[in-house]
Amino acid sequence: MDNCNICKLQDNPIYEDDLIRAVLHKKPSAPGHIIVFPRKHYTIFEQVPDIEVARIFSVANKISTAVFESLQMHGTNILVNNGLAAGQQDNHFVVHIIPRTEGDGLKLEWKPKQLSEEEMSTVELMLKPVAEVMQEPPVEPKKEEKKEPEKLGDENNYLIRQLRRIP
Amino acid sequence: MEDPAAIEEKLKSMSPEELKEFQKKNCIFCHIISGKVQSKKVYEDDVCTGVLDINPANPGHILLVPNEHYAIMPMMPDDVIARMFQVAKHLSQSMLKALKAQGTNIFVANGVAAGQKAQHFMIHIIPRMPDDGVSFSLPQKQLTDSDMDEIAKRIRNRLNDLLGIKEEPQQVAGKKVANVQTDLDAVSKIFKNG
Repeated sequence: MDNCNICKLQDNPIYEDDLIRAVLHKKPSAPGHIIVFPRKHYTIFEQVPDIEVARIFSVANKISTAVFESLQMHGTNILVNNGLAAGQQDNHFVVHIIPRTEGDGLKLEWKPKQLSEEEMSTVELMLKPVAEVMQEPPVEPKKEEKKEPEKLGDENNYLIRQLRRIP
Repeated sequence: MEDPAAIEEKLKSMSPEELKEFQKKNCIFCHIISGKVQSKKVYEDDVCTGVLDINPANPGHILLVPNEHYAIMPMMPDDVIARMFQVAKHLSQSMLKALKAQGTNIFVANGVAAGQKAQHFMIHIIPRMPDDGVSFSLPQKQLTDSDMDEIAKRIRNRLNDLLGIKEEPQQVAGKKVANVQTDLDAVSKIFKNG
């Protein structure tokens, strides 16, 4: 996309192939902070096709190991901020790889909430019927023609509309 | 309770297979997957299982774990990683639909310093609402260009070793620049599952 910062991003390259790219984050939370992203423009996780999801995360695993070993880190986090409410900053889906050391001061944690048994059961009743069945995409022969990125149903449009407002 | 020193001796003398069996026997997530320990499962297939976290960041927080016992991510085969994150995408979408979540975080902690608590690999899928009291704050720092160059070079070299890729440096406008355009055929063979 023309006005997307991530689509244009090439500085400090770490990895590139036909589907994805990984670069150092320009304003890192720690030295070696990397973002991995699809070369095609997708705004949120749900829009990214399975093949690209597979590639991004299997490469992210290898990059995590490379960062851990080459910079002698104590650990790594893999983080996706999907949607404005989740802290998404750019209009383009990215996966963060964040190197960690003891006492680095990064707060990537949460205060657990205490739910009653009733509250837990309510959530289970709402979520399970939708979560337990994953639609397998039909296997289609590969087409060469240009395609519009997958359009999602209405339930995701509000996320995309929010994100379009990001310059 | 067995004496800790005796346990340590026992562990030292175990083969990798015996050690793995020992870990599984003492792993609460393996017990959850097998049904020995009660849980609220919301997703299950051949590769992985998703359960509701009983101490959630937000209601609906799912822990997605591989059915096979892997303690850390580098030990996991590419096809299992691929499948698990495809499932994570589906579970994220389920939260948007069923819980009217306004966003989701996908979070993995590799190593104690990164917040890893259990000895069984897991992906956290966390539904988010505005002002829910949860924050994955990513502070922004500035490094010098030369530091960035050095860091990128070190990571690329290690990564290319891990992937078995040979990198040829090339001249670009008088400056030696690493050729990151790797052999696409070699790379797609490594990730032949997609």
